[in-house]
Amino acid sequence: MALAAEAFMTQLAAAEPWPENAALYQQLKDEQILLSDNASSLAVQAFLQMCNLPVRVVCRANAEYMSPSGKVPFIHVGNQVVSELGPIVQFVKAKGHSLSDGLDEVQKAEMKAYMELVNNMLLTAELYLQWCDDVTVEEITHLRYGSPYPWPLNRILSYQKQWEIRRKMKAIGWAGKSLEQVLEDVDQCCQALSQRLGTQPYFFNKQPTELDALVFGHLFTILTTQLTSDELSEKVKNYSNLIAFCRRIEQQYFEGHDKDSSSSATSRSAKRSLLR
Amino acid sequence: MGTVHARSLEPLPMSGPDFGALGEEAELVEVEPEAKQEILENKDVVVQHVHFDGLGRTKDDIIMYEICDVFKAKNLIDVMKKSHEAREKLLRLGIFRQVEVLIDTCQGDDALPNGLDVTFEVTELRRLTGSYNTMVGNNEGSMVLGLKFPNLFGRAEKVTFQFSYGTKETSYGLSFFKPQPGNFERNFSVNLYKVTGQFPWSSLRETDRGVSTEFNFPIWKTNHTLKWEGVWRELGCLARTASFSVREESGHSLKSSLSHAMVIDSRNSSILPRRGALLKINQELAGYTGGDVSFLKEDFEFQLNKQLLWDSVFSASLWGGMLVPIGDKPSSIADRFYLGGPTSVRGFSMYSIGPQSEGDYLGGEAYWAGGLHLYTPLPFRPGRGGFGDLFRTHFFLNAGNLCNLNYGDGPRAHLQKLAEYIRWSYGAGIVLRLGNIARLELNYCFPMGVQSGDRICDGVQFGAGIRFL
Repeated sequence: MALAAEAFMTQLAAAEPWPENAALYQQLKDEQILLSDNASSLAVQAFLQMCNLPVRVVCRANAEYMSPSGKVPFIHVGNQVVSELGPIVQFVKAKGHSLSDGLDEVQKAEMKAYMELVNNMLLTAELYLQWCDDVTVEEITHLRYGSPYPWPLNRILSYQKQWEIRRKMKAIGWAGKSLEQVLEDVDQCCQALSQRLGTQPYFFNKQPTELDALVFGHLFTILTTQLTSDELSEKVKNYSNLIAFCRRIEQQYFEGHDKDSSSSATSRSAKRSLLR
Repeated sequence: MGTVHARSLEPLPMSGPDFGALGEEAELVEVEPEAKQEILENKDVVVQHVHFDGLGRTKDDIIMYEICDVFKAKNLIDVMKKSHEAREKLLRLGIFRQVEVLIDTCQGDDALPNGLDVTFEVTELRRLTGSYNTMVGNNEGSMVLGLKFPNLFGRAEKVTFQFSYGTKETSYGLSFFKPQPGNFERNFSVNLYKVTGQFPWSSLRETDRGVSTEFNFPIWKTNHTLKWEGVWRELGCLARTASFSVREESGHSLKSSLSHAMVIDSRNSSILPRRGALLKINQELAGYTGGDVSFLKEDFEFQLNKQLLWDSVFSASLWGGMLVPIGDKPSSIADRFYLGGPTSVRGFSMYSIGPQSEGDYLGGEAYWAGGLHLYTPLPFRPGRGGFGDLFRTHFFLNAGNLCNLNYGDGPRAHLQKLAEYIRWSYGAGIVLRLGNIARLELNYCFPMGVQSGDRICDGVQFGAGIRFL
């Protein structure tokens, strides 16, 4: 049933051009959004910028519940609602825009593999840090996650989400890991990415692909988010080509847009940390 | 001296659903003939003792309140009447399975020549009663388990627990009820619940988890209820194809509200009344005791019934309501009013009148609805005196409107807006009365004044429910 719906949607999508009023929904920027969601949202924004498709960012406290899959970000294009980077890439491809058309089969498989690496390692590490590390949970996550809601709802939602994430961690075997082990995994992941990137401007030489958008979203957010300690961002800072990569993408795709408050805020915080 | 056994008499008519089930057949009063027959009716008597047989955990003080009137009786007929009333009051407490009254002359050393002893023989309900049902509904089956603890601490307190486990949703409710001793009409209850609902007309799913406390008390002829309720509401889309306006309302909210309701009911029955009137006024203020939903909601319900010639009844009803959001947040879809359907303006699909977006009905902040009905017995009166009496034919005219108001404008503009696009319908059908609880209708309807966006159900429409326009 889901496959048929998917195919039907793709056909519908292909019919219409990209509208002017496409919107991307995420949680409230300053008070509510967490590291992992911010990373995912930035990845999608970067991807759409790379495809030259205009989109405005709308912040809603209930974005997570509005999303059809329960995850942010999601885009509202015409009549359709699509969430998460993977389906969004497919949706955009059906409309005739694609960044990975120039790649051959081997490269596409490689790209998929690296995207899986980022999702399984980096994203999971971010979730672990946010929800399973007690210090971070107490000082940052609980305060931010439920902030738009009144007491006692803020506490209830926060604990409910924490319980859900911890169950997921148990299922994939991360519950037993310590923070040091998780940071080690992050280091290994960054090492693999750094090696693949080498001295090239993008992962697949001259043109950016969705892999670049995804890596940028995560690394940039890690570098520019204030946490209780700097351990996570230090791991990324060990690899200078990754920092240069983030800077390059930020300058090329985000600095030109002064009207968009989200990207100007991004560049402000970027200047704060990248210039250190 | 004759012995009078006063067992049970025909019950006095009582209003409300609780008492309908307690009716028993009339029995003749037996007087054993003896050599000397006296006319007991006019004899002055004094009730000297009232005995209770069979009390277990029930405390004495609440019993005293219910039977104190018996002592005031002056003659025999009065004693029988007051004992009967006391019996009804005791049964109303909901703590006895059975109450029998025995009136006898007083024996013993301190007995007066005209002294009487009244004995109430009672059987208390068991400490715990349970029930188990299965229910089958629209594409869903569920198991319902009910537990009841009547007369928990001896003063007619009651704790009930209901748990429903279904293929789609699970819901439960726990409630504690305590009446004031001596004044059963004044009571308070505390409820804890989780209910889920699916509303296909709005493509909306709602889960409510809440706690509420309410006080009921009568003032003169009216019944008042004061209630505080705190609800954690979770809204979600029922299908992937829900409109974006409904998608925007998904998420969590907390409503903490105080409400007051007043009911004056002089009808002889709540289902198919023959005479009397009903007025219900309800107001709710949310947001001042916490939560993030803030509004003032008013709604009223009025019904008037009059019996005409040849067993027919004319009935007129009017409903209306208004929701005023306080502050700059717009109202939530879960608080708004809905209109249309077999229990509301007939001829339209369920809740399918008014503001909508891509086929999902969003409800409105103000509405009114009115109905005129004529109920007559079935033509040619089949099954008269028995089954046929449960059915009535009915002719109706319904009208109503649902819209959002611009609260900046004055009342004149509001009235204009409400009178702008009136939907109305007329038709006829058959009504079946189910006990004193519910009513089934099968109507043939002609909807008129249909606006674009409304969904109609012209032709045959079936409805079942408790509250009909």
